[in-house]
Amino acid sequence: MVVDAAATVGIDIPVYCYHQALGPLGACRICLVEIEKMPKLMTACTTAATDGMVVHTQSQAAEKGRRGILEFLLINHPLDCPICDKGGECFLQDYVFQYGAGQARFEEAKIQRHKEYPVSPYILVDQERCVLCQRCVRFMGEYVGEEELLMDGRGVHTVITNVPGIPLTSPFSGNVIDLCPVGALLSEPYHYRARPWNIEREDTYCSQCPVGCSSSVTGRDGQVVRLEGRPTPGQWGWLCDHGRFTYDFGAHPTRLTEARLDGEPVTVGRAAQVLGQRLAAVVREHGPDAVAVLTGGSHTVEDHYALRRFADEVLGGSRAGLVKPVEADLPLALLGTFAELDQSDTVLLLGTDPYESAPVVHLALRENVRRRGLVVKALGDRHLLRDTLAGEEWVVEPGGMAAALAAATAGVSEHPDARLAAEGLAPADESLVRLGQALMEPGALTVLWDGREQDLAPALVALARARGEHPTRVLPTFGPRNWLAAARVGIPTDYETSRRILMDAADGRIQVLLLWGADPVRDFPDGDLAARALERCPEVYFGGVFPPDGAELLAGVLPTAAWAEEAGTYVNMEGRLQTGRGAASAPGQARPTRNILQAVARAYGTPLRKLDEWDPYEGTVDDRLVLPPLEGSVRPVSPPPAAESGFRLISGLEVALTHDPSEVAARTKEDRPARMHPADLADLGLLTGSGPVELSSGDRSFRVGVRGDPRIPRGRVFVPRGLRGVPINRLGGIAVAVRAVEEVASR
Amino acid sequence: MTSEELGTGGAPEWNPEWASWAAAAREEFPRAQSALMPFLHRVQTDEGWLRPEALDAAAHYLELPRQYVESVVSFYSLFRTEVTGHRTIHVCMSLSCALAGSDALLHNLEEALGVRVGQTTPDGAYTLLEAECLAACDLAPACQVNLRYVGPVPPERFQTLLEEEVSTREDA
Repeated sequence: MVVDAAATVGIDIPVYCYHQALGPLGACRICLVEIEKMPKLMTACTTAATDGMVVHTQSQAAEKGRRGILEFLLINHPLDCPICDKGGECFLQDYVFQYGAGQARFEEAKIQRHKEYPVSPYILVDQERCVLCQRCVRFMGEYVGEEELLMDGRGVHTVITNVPGIPLTSPFSGNVIDLCPVGALLSEPYHYRARPWNIEREDTYCSQCPVGCSSSVTGRDGQVVRLEGRPTPGQWGWLCDHGRFTYDFGAHPTRLTEARLDGEPVTVGRAAQVLGQRLAAVVREHGPDAVAVLTGGSHTVEDHYALRRFADEVLGGSRAGLVKPVEADLPLALLGTFAELDQSDTVLLLGTDPYESAPVVHLALRENVRRRGLVVKALGDRHLLRDTLAGEEWVVEPGGMAAALAAATAGVSEHPDARLAAEGLAPADESLVRLGQALMEPGALTVLWDGREQDLAPALVALARARGEHPTRVLPTFGPRNWLAAARVGIPTDYETSRRILMDAADGRIQVLLLWGADPVRDFPDGDLAARALERCPEVYFGGVFPPDGAELLAGVLPTAAWAEEAGTYVNMEGRLQTGRGAASAPGQARPTRNILQAVARAYGTPLRKLDEWDPYEGTVDDRLVLPPLEGSVRPVSPPPAAESGFRLISGLEVALTHDPSEVAARTKEDRPARMHPADLADLGLLTGSGPVELSSGDRSFRVGVRGDPRIPRGRVFVPRGLRGVPINRLGGIAVAVRAVEEVASR
Repeated sequence: MTSEELGTGGAPEWNPEWASWAAAAREEFPRAQSALMPFLHRVQTDEGWLRPEALDAAAHYLELPRQYVESVVSFYSLFRTEVTGHRTIHVCMSLSCALAGSDALLHNLEEALGVRVGQTTPDGAYTLLEAECLAACDLAPACQVNLRYVGPVPPERFQTLLEEEVSTREDA
């Protein structure tokens, strides 16, 4: 289009309705330009640029056209810029200032409409300010595929609204606030909170899932008050609402803001001193193996570097590991990128529904399907495809994904590793052979995987080797957000390392356990082991932002600074380094991890030297981790667990539920996190389609709210992992009994 | 509401005939978007206006987003989303009729019925509406009663409109 061609040579043609992701429409007509040999002014956003075309953007005719359009747009537009949230960052203001007339000629009364009409708990529409560019309607209806906004009425009476009683519920709805070029779609949580000239607006990356969406954080008076999407080359700047509206987690009431020793509040300096002295005494007496460090993968790369050096240099070689909510390890050699996803011919969703685990990746998939016919396949223990993302799917028994993938690969490929991985498994049936054929198609394959089932790692390596020269890439959709930061600084990220650390802590071989942002009781797949470790280890210290499960067992707590409170580097699911700046200040006594560890190191007697001179980007290629080669042998995949009667437990990761505690995002937080097939709910007597149930296995049980979801196969209960108060990692087996229980009134 | 929640029979306040009307519209116009208007017209002819439930049903039976149905209904001024009286009177407000006194006619009707334009009498007998050009300047001031042309209606003879014969809604 002419407007894009102009942009490539640095000429800015004003647009409202046009957005490259949405395609041309020609609704607002602000982009009028004069094109030689064309009789009238043309819209630059709908006219394709051709060879030899001569376009005037500054001619008298073009300027007159723009001025006229702006005059029309302003006919019913209120003059309330001084109280408008968008005032100062509004394209209508900018273009009128630049191109518009100084004086309005319209003397009649302006049409009055809704000023603060809520279309969702997060979004207000000011219908008077709307220029009817339709970006929001088209984004929701066409791009996201969830038609929740509509144009109501006709002509001058047209307004943007929702169907009465049906608010926007899409997790992508917040993007319409960013897309709105004027002050019509407003963020309710940001409404009347700040003006552009008294805020700090800094480049950052979202902190809530490993996608690491580029964004801008707005701080005012030391507090984060807003998060917006930020387009970067190759990315549109979309955010999901779970990330966008969780920006206030740093100010949440449960946030750690003071240090504690044995439950008593102390200063951070005092806590660091005691910890340093204790560590020194323990290492003197029992050696460095009596101390271990577990990171939760939420702190920055710089913090992880300090942690790594603290374990190596101060403690003299103590073990370190990562607590993650899944049991499998990704062969890092297979780590893919979003650019590779955009080039892939086939995508396999492996146990993960990106809409839930990495929402913006769902949008990328959908765009690739719409734009260039990307083929989507899914293999999972539940239905992973949705109305907005079509493809072909294979639903297997719980725990049977690895066996299915290995058998499917071996059913089509003669590669020795494919054979080895499938050794002892039943041969692929017709359906799995079809899956194997789809996965062995030439061209590039990208697998999205949520890290469940340890045996999927060898099955994926076998698939990659069987595919030979055709690229096979894996994008891990599991958290924690910054787990690859541990990989960057050399902290082992595998399940086995952290399991052994917890075993040793539970067996009394570790005297001091240092948890840095780690919440093993909640997140570690073997929750019982983690609980035993916390109970039996003589001293457990915790540094982080939110208290972990079992906080009453901690010997000491150190509050650390969180995202947006300092500049720091993160590594996203592609292995890409991203440095975000700070826009707020850490509350209370919270300090950057590096400062706390340095204070502990001093008390220990071995200060860390030159901590700040390290460059996280050193040795990276294109800002990405350097990946190891794919090596090692493939082991046979275990056969799937035998089918049992009764309900079976399946799980997954959902950003909507596991994001940091937030008062803003709590507005739409689901309080019935478990899901079952509606028919199963009806059989349990939950005829309203939801309610509390008790899940039990052996002598373990817990209560959880459940709701109906036809995408869960019958006979299965889906419970998300890593959720406070929902200890799915302590139930043991996958066979569970489900019983409806009385609703207890909370009032 | 999703189709699972509604089932095939629909909510209790749905007219059981709607399903067959939707199917008939779908047969005539295989594209769901095209079948929407005939279905809505048929429901409006039957009930005089479009209840929210009718829009739910249209979305359900024609498998269209509820938002799309809302958008279409709000676009066309002849789709009514408020209760309509037994007789709907449209008074043309365009140039020829205005010169012939349609303003005064409308005023007289408002006085006689005790409602403002756009409203329905409390007994549900009359709905009074403005119309843009009815393309009947020879009948100025032109009116419609249940969409049937009446005119010329000089302002003082407004009573003829109120006594206009209407049999059933099928005439409309």
